[in-house]
Amino acid sequence: MKYYGWGLTCIGGAGVLLTAIMGYTYAPLVQSPPFRSPEAYRILFWHVPFAWTSFLSFCLLFIGAISWFLKRKEWGWNLFCTGSDLGLLFGLGVVISGPIWGSAEWGVPWDWGDLRLNTFGLLTAVALFIVLSRKAQPDGIETRDTLSTVGLFGFALVPITAVATTVYQKRHPSVVIAESSETGLDPKMLEVLILGVISFWILMAGLSLLTYISYKMEYELRKLLDKIDEEVVH
Amino acid sequence: MEVQTLIQISGLEIHRGNRLIISDFDFELSEGEVVTLVGPNGCGKTTLLESSAGMHTISSGSIYWRDDLSGMKLVRDSDGRRNPLPPMGLTLQKNGISGEETVQERMKTVLTVSGCDFDDIKVQELLDCWGLKHRSSDRVSQLSGGLARRLSVLSGLAPALLSKKSRVVLLDEPSEGLDKSAKLLLINWLRALISRGHGIIVATHDSDLISIADRILKFSNGKEVNLSSQPQPESNFIIPNSTNNVPIKKVSSLFNWAYRMEKRNPIDTINRLIPAILALLLSHALVSEDEISIVGTDFFSALILLPSFISVVIPPALISRYAEENCGRWWSAVIGPKFRLSSSIIGSSILLPIPLIYLSWFILSDNLASVDDSVVYWLWLPCLVMYFVAIAASSLHLLVSDLRRSGASVVSLLLLVLVWPFIELVDSLEMIILNGMSWGFSLEEPIFMMFLAGTISLLVWIVSVYLPEA
Repeated sequence: MKYYGWGLTCIGGAGVLLTAIMGYTYAPLVQSPPFRSPEAYRILFWHVPFAWTSFLSFCLLFIGAISWFLKRKEWGWNLFCTGSDLGLLFGLGVVISGPIWGSAEWGVPWDWGDLRLNTFGLLTAVALFIVLSRKAQPDGIETRDTLSTVGLFGFALVPITAVATTVYQKRHPSVVIAESSETGLDPKMLEVLILGVISFWILMAGLSLLTYISYKMEYELRKLLDKIDEEVVH
Repeated sequence: MEVQTLIQISGLEIHRGNRLIISDFDFELSEGEVVTLVGPNGCGKTTLLESSAGMHTISSGSIYWRDDLSGMKLVRDSDGRRNPLPPMGLTLQKNGISGEETVQERMKTVLTVSGCDFDDIKVQELLDCWGLKHRSSDRVSQLSGGLARRLSVLSGLAPALLSKKSRVVLLDEPSEGLDKSAKLLLINWLRALISRGHGIIVATHDSDLISIADRILKFSNGKEVNLSSQPQPESNFIIPNSTNNVPIKKVSSLFNWAYRMEKRNPIDTINRLIPAILALLLSHALVSEDEISIVGTDFFSALILLPSFISVVIPPALISRYAEENCGRWWSAVIGPKFRLSSSIIGSSILLPIPLIYLSWFILSDNLASVDDSVVYWLWLPCLVMYFVAIAASSLHLLVSDLRRSGASVVSLLLLVLVWPFIELVDSLEMIILNGMSWGFSLEEPIFMMFLAGTISLLVWIVSVYLPEA
């Protein structure tokens, strides 16, 4: 499994790099106007795959939290840890690349009317909280229960954010991203975007395997340490 | 007379961290017996004692307590069901008492939550027995470690002492920190209490306490538990008489306790007030009429609500009070499943949102060129909704305080969600300022925006209060 993990990570990583290169060289430039900052659009070749992959990672986190609550098995907790690590990684990708693009295109880094940006912003904050707390807290059922609760809480935020953002957007018309029903997405752009999405997914699969394995090994190591502790005490 | 079971534990399995502490454990505590839990450090004595009181999540099994009304009552099981404990006495390894409490207040609180009838004379009598009468008006923080431990032990014994019905007493290392005379007193009281039909569990290393036990549960090699019995003579020691049982007031006692602590040392109010007032004064000093006219009324509305919002998201002082000497764990054991719900309301900023929003209005509205006087009559509505935001913030802080090293976690990351109710409130105030108050229920009406802000806050509150108990 470890070799699969490394293999997929390398392939995915190469694909991600290739996406960036093709985004700069192969994908055509958009028109200005309507785009205010045509060059900046190229960030979408990473921004969109980041968003889709982070959503998958948050799903892993959610499944892990539910599994821990229902089954109380180590694999559920490992899944939760893996999901939070990757959710943080790819979520940060979204909330960093989004404002960069937003600053260039809209003139503002954050749009309170953008549902996706806000949802990912909050979910990434939750993932960051979980990752930092996991490192800082002593491992135990109580800690796991509380952090899993926070994980589920993160998912409860999604509909809350959706309603709040939709209402906000209706009252304050959001910054309009240039779209044209006549032209749609240029086929070359679509090719690069699909390459990006597939590469990010492969990267995520590889990193998931590696992270999961490392948590499993960490668990085995802790068990051995506990055994030594017991021998020392008794 | 038939001896009845007070606690029944079956198939108990408990993990701490990755370690299996107790496995497939069955146990019954009967009326009129002292059971001691004995074993090396880390073997699970405290875990078992606290789990008996439903304080820990259990991996499998169930814990039942005898209730005055319904016979055996489920206290906690591995399916997550949890019910409040019947009246009992509890002394934790740490004292479980806030330093702000006075000695007699502590006794009164303990007796109220356990449904004992008492008056000042009775409280003084109890304190006198343990050499604490002369310190009855002193704060616990002013007591020496030994005297504070005496008070903690007395608090654990008093609910059984004053009850005519059989009660359970759980004592964790009660003799730690007690001098020889206090330890002798403890031993005499324990034997006298069981002669009245109460049941007592003591986790201890103390050989004197072990020697007076009817049964000894010895933990060895982590998971094995051996039970042995030893005959004990009848006790002739005289202890104060019991009183009548009265209705139990648990949640209201917690409210009273929190109110008294804050009244005595208003750290919560001051901690919230100072940053809010600073924000208000800075807004007043740095933002001029011209700037407000340029950026718009929504910016002005945000400035009005900002001090109040800052005050409600600050961590409640209740959390630090709970952390002192495991005071929160004592309350959690006593109150049971309603503890988190009650604490989220008690810990929130109840008083400040209203005066802060009005104060901001009176100070900052000077910066607005033309303002309708009627706005001031409706400011109480955003204040009311801000109270919901306060409860939501308090519940998030409490959720994080469950972690053993809660200070090492960044709770502000979770508080980000409260930006939304704040934005909706800003919108609603802007509408009131621009168009006056109206009662329609659509997107362009302030009532709808306030309803939305309140609903979001309530959802956050419900999720963070009920999910951990589910």
